[in-house]
Amino acid sequence: MFVARRLLSAIPVLAVVSVITFLLMWLIPGDISAELGGTEATPEILERIREQFGLNKPILERAAQWYGALFQGDLGHSYLLNRSVADAVFERLPVTLSLAALGLVLASVFGVLLGILAAVRHNSWVDQSSMVGALIGLSIPDFWFGLVLIIVFGVLLGWLPTGGYVPITEDFLGWVRSMTLPALTLAFTQMGVIARMTRSSMLDVLDQDFIRTARAKGMSAYTVVFKHALRNALVPIVTVMGLTAGVLLSGAVVIESVFSLPGVGRLIVGSIQRRDFPIIQGGLLVTACVFVFVNLVVDILYGWLDPRVRNER
Amino acid sequence: MSEYRKRTSALRALAMGSLVALTAAFATSGAALAQTMGGTVTVVHNSNPPSLDAMATSSGQSRNVNMNVYETLYGFDENIVPMPILAEGVDISPDGLKYTFTLRKGVKFHNGDVMKASDVKASMERYRKVGATGNLLNAVESFEIVDDYTIIFHMKAKTPTFLESFSSPRAPAVIIPEEDFAAEAGKTSLVGTGPYKITEYVPDSHVTLEKFADYTQDTRYSGPDGFGGKKTAYFDKAIFRVIVEPGAQVAALEAGEVDILDVMPPSAARRLEGSKDIEVQENKLWAFSTFILNANDGLTSNVKFREAVQVALNMEEVVGIATEGLFTLNGGWVYPGTTYDAGDIGAADYYNKHDVEKAKALLKEAGYNNEPFSLLTDNSIPVHNKTAVVIAEQLKAVGINVVINQVDWPSALNLRMQDTGWNGWTLSMGIEPYLGPAAITATLAGTRPHFVKPDPVLEELYKELTAGETVEARKATFAKIQKQLYTYFGIIKLGDIGLLQATRSNIEGFKTFRFPRVYDIWRQ
Repeated sequence: MFVARRLLSAIPVLAVVSVITFLLMWLIPGDISAELGGTEATPEILERIREQFGLNKPILERAAQWYGALFQGDLGHSYLLNRSVADAVFERLPVTLSLAALGLVLASVFGVLLGILAAVRHNSWVDQSSMVGALIGLSIPDFWFGLVLIIVFGVLLGWLPTGGYVPITEDFLGWVRSMTLPALTLAFTQMGVIARMTRSSMLDVLDQDFIRTARAKGMSAYTVVFKHALRNALVPIVTVMGLTAGVLLSGAVVIESVFSLPGVGRLIVGSIQRRDFPIIQGGLLVTACVFVFVNLVVDILYGWLDPRVRNER
Repeated sequence: MSEYRKRTSALRALAMGSLVALTAAFATSGAALAQTMGGTVTVVHNSNPPSLDAMATSSGQSRNVNMNVYETLYGFDENIVPMPILAEGVDISPDGLKYTFTLRKGVKFHNGDVMKASDVKASMERYRKVGATGNLLNAVESFEIVDDYTIIFHMKAKTPTFLESFSSPRAPAVIIPEEDFAAEAGKTSLVGTGPYKITEYVPDSHVTLEKFADYTQDTRYSGPDGFGGKKTAYFDKAIFRVIVEPGAQVAALEAGEVDILDVMPPSAARRLEGSKDIEVQENKLWAFSTFILNANDGLTSNVKFREAVQVALNMEEVVGIATEGLFTLNGGWVYPGTTYDAGDIGAADYYNKHDVEKAKALLKEAGYNNEPFSLLTDNSIPVHNKTAVVIAEQLKAVGINVVINQVDWPSALNLRMQDTGWNGWTLSMGIEPYLGPAAITATLAGTRPHFVKPDPVLEELYKELTAGETVEARKATFAKIQKQLYTYFGIIKLGDIGLLQATRSNIEGFKTFRFPRVYDIWRQ
């Protein structure tokens, strides 16, 4: 019931996203005629290109066409890619999602471990150096860090490719090799956020009576930290992870460009640069769906982690 | 060290020595044998080709791929003179109203069909409809098929420069199969007659070309020449990879993952100077850097104001900074030493003067009263916005209140098509200077020239240029055009800018050109 309610509440969000993207396409100057006609195109040639793509029709007529097709499950046809928007977006979605998922796993595992270590060794050199590390990760621009990784592991050591994508279905090892540096770059910048939140949340929990009781009962440090403290500290950490997932999905745009990965981010950015409106509208709508889904997963996790949240509902 | 280890060490050393000697021997014989067949070459460019339908786009990224795949009846040779490619030749009637093209026999399309006059007619008629520069066929009244290998272009009027325009590679009038006649722009079967055929296109990733085994070489020539000549595909496969980030492009070249960079950043070229693995080539005559003034809008509608801008600028500083030193100062409107070079006519008094006092006096004469000067530029082509920043500083120094309006490329193209709302616009003209005087002047004539308000004098001179019967006549007209450009001041020539391209050292035969030719290159 809760899931159904959350899914229903996503409909107005997606409707608003679609309206905003449609209006933005109408408002931004320039269209596909600039890309195809170039600088030397005469007004007549530009007009002919606009006519060819239906861009000279009134906004309401274009909107009616687009929404009409959308309600039938058709996201439209790309001006430039010679394929449907759905094909173009869905064939790239695995690249972006796997990049964001790998980045999230790496950022979460290392972030949480670093945060726990800093909390358990509070005010020691371990704490301070972990937090300095986390701060460095937060402060370094991801495109710069990505280029450094390319130069070190791609050019100097030659261990990993400098860019490009190998589909997992073609060659698993090749996929791992092509995704390692981009995922590490994404993870490094987000790891700091998760580490700092874990540390602060763990410090709150470690100070509480039930932890003291657990320790007094003679439980091992491992059980106290991972079974009792971490479980209770997880709700804010999961919130941050949910936000991080969003940041990783949007941050993937930059990483996809640096590492030449054909993902949804690059597809949308490239389409904005070329004014391939159907791709921008369809791509943003699909991305919004992914964000809504991620938020839904985070909400479900809250309930699973904290029965009080579940019962409130 | 044990005896066994010593022995194996010695054996290993001997084996290594032999290997080195053998390698050296093969390397020598390889050099003597020269061209090597087979393998894959990977070329990098920085964005997707917007279309692989060669007619439908004038994009340079598309040209990079398409000119290895498609061919035209006529195209430019290395010296930018029209040469027959798919045509055997052309016979122009004395009155200039009939162009009879005879076609090469036995030329095969990638689908196995033989090219015939019906394919040429269909291609030309489609070009009229979807060609990005379809207006170059405006001079043609109709096409008449005489037989399978002869087609006549009936002209509306005598057009002495038709063959030059028709040979343009900007959005080339390529020959495609008749079956693609009705295909909308971008929706053809991607079949051409070139030495490579398109087998895969993954946008944002790569375009894969494969050697066309049945390619019909043009044996009239001894080797490639410009866009034509005898083309030989040595590599089995050519991959055009899209890498957006310049740093990542250079890293991929250094790591040996790719073979050719379409554009090499000057800073990386300097860093890699002396590298034994990478060779850098410079194409000095790549583009004109220009600054266009809107002769229709407020401030810049006043010719005295435009003249003030012209004399205020220090071109050496503008182009030097914008290109990181990859430039040549040239106030002429064609490349020095080419057929139509008019020397410094007009330029002598106005080019690269940086005369602050004269500029201030002209501004006073123009009645300038600190109104904002809107300088339109884009952030998609780095040379453009760097140029704008330096120009803005120089104009501020003479007292002009410059406001930079930086937008993305499609927005800039859209805004500059508006009659008002902008005063100056930075533009690098790449293909037009290559094509010559008619192409340059065409952008400055007609109902909508770059500087918005047509100049009747230039309009007449353009007509005179295209009607000029002989090269000498056209040369004389072009000298008048150059003089007029330094009278009207609708467009300011900043300089000639170059392009660096780089290859791995083991790629042989590569010569920098208007597009990366993946034929007639091989791996040593």
